[in-house]
Amino acid sequence: MMDDFEQQIKAALAKKEPSPFFEARVLGAAKRQARDRRASARMWWASAIAAALLVTTGSAWQYEREAHEQAAGREAKARLELALKITSVKLQKISQKVEGI
Amino acid sequence: MKFALSVLCAVLPLAAQDVKMPVGLDKLGAKASEVVDVSLDGALLQLAGRFLSEKDPDEANVKRLVGGLKGVYVKSFEFEDRDQYKESDVEELRAQLRGPAWARIVSARSKKDGENSEIYLKTDAGQISGLVIIVAEPKELTVVNIVGFIRPEDIRDLGGHWGIPKVDIAPVKPGKNDKKEDEK
Repeated sequence: MMDDFEQQIKAALAKKEPSPFFEARVLGAAKRQARDRRASARMWWASAIAAALLVTTGSAWQYEREAHEQAAGREAKARLELALKITSVKLQKISQKVEGI
Repeated sequence: MKFALSVLCAVLPLAAQDVKMPVGLDKLGAKASEVVDVSLDGALLQLAGRFLSEKDPDEANVKRLVGGLKGVYVKSFEFEDRDQYKESDVEELRAQLRGPAWARIVSARSKKDGENSEIYLKTDAGQISGLVIIVAEPKELTVVNIVGFIRPEDIRDLGGHWGIPKVDIAPVKPGKNDKKEDEK
């Protein structure tokens, strides 16, 4: 009985040779993990850069649009001022002429 | 469908302007020594209005005035010599103003100075909806077309404000060749 048990222990603790390519598989798994981590970090950086680019481009576009609108608004205001100036002067002259006659 | 849209797009600006500036007027630009051509449709007027301050009393006044407008069109030509334009150049415009909606409220003609000034008002359901001014002088021709709710005196009274000069000409003594019509 005891011999059987000892036999089993010995068999269980007996030195076994690793299966073929065991080392290669372990090294491969380690490399894959490292590669995945690098890819994940690259993806994170790429996303961050893309987000930063998007925000910068959006802000630049908004700034450009506002600047363009400001310029167009100032131009429209100047044209309105000119139109009203001409109209007012003509109306004043007509008015004074009519009142003076 | 595309045709209908393109026709609509072509007609809409004309409808907004209501009175069409005669094409012949643009040709006068070649003879003129100075040309002012201002064309502000509703969208541009709104844009200009956004740049008028509420805090400045003069600008606030103009902003209120512009709020009721749909278009402002001014053409003014100054010539070096007399008689560079013909009566027919303006006649096409006058013809459009003979419709029932328009009334000539002022016509001041001076044969001595060779000046002819007219003010037309358009009314829709008792509301002023347009103003046209034609000032024909020997060396100058000015046509103003304002679309929308406007009272001539509101613009006239801008004189002395917002950089608009206040005209102060000496009262004209009546001459035998001067004629005044004040139809309203």
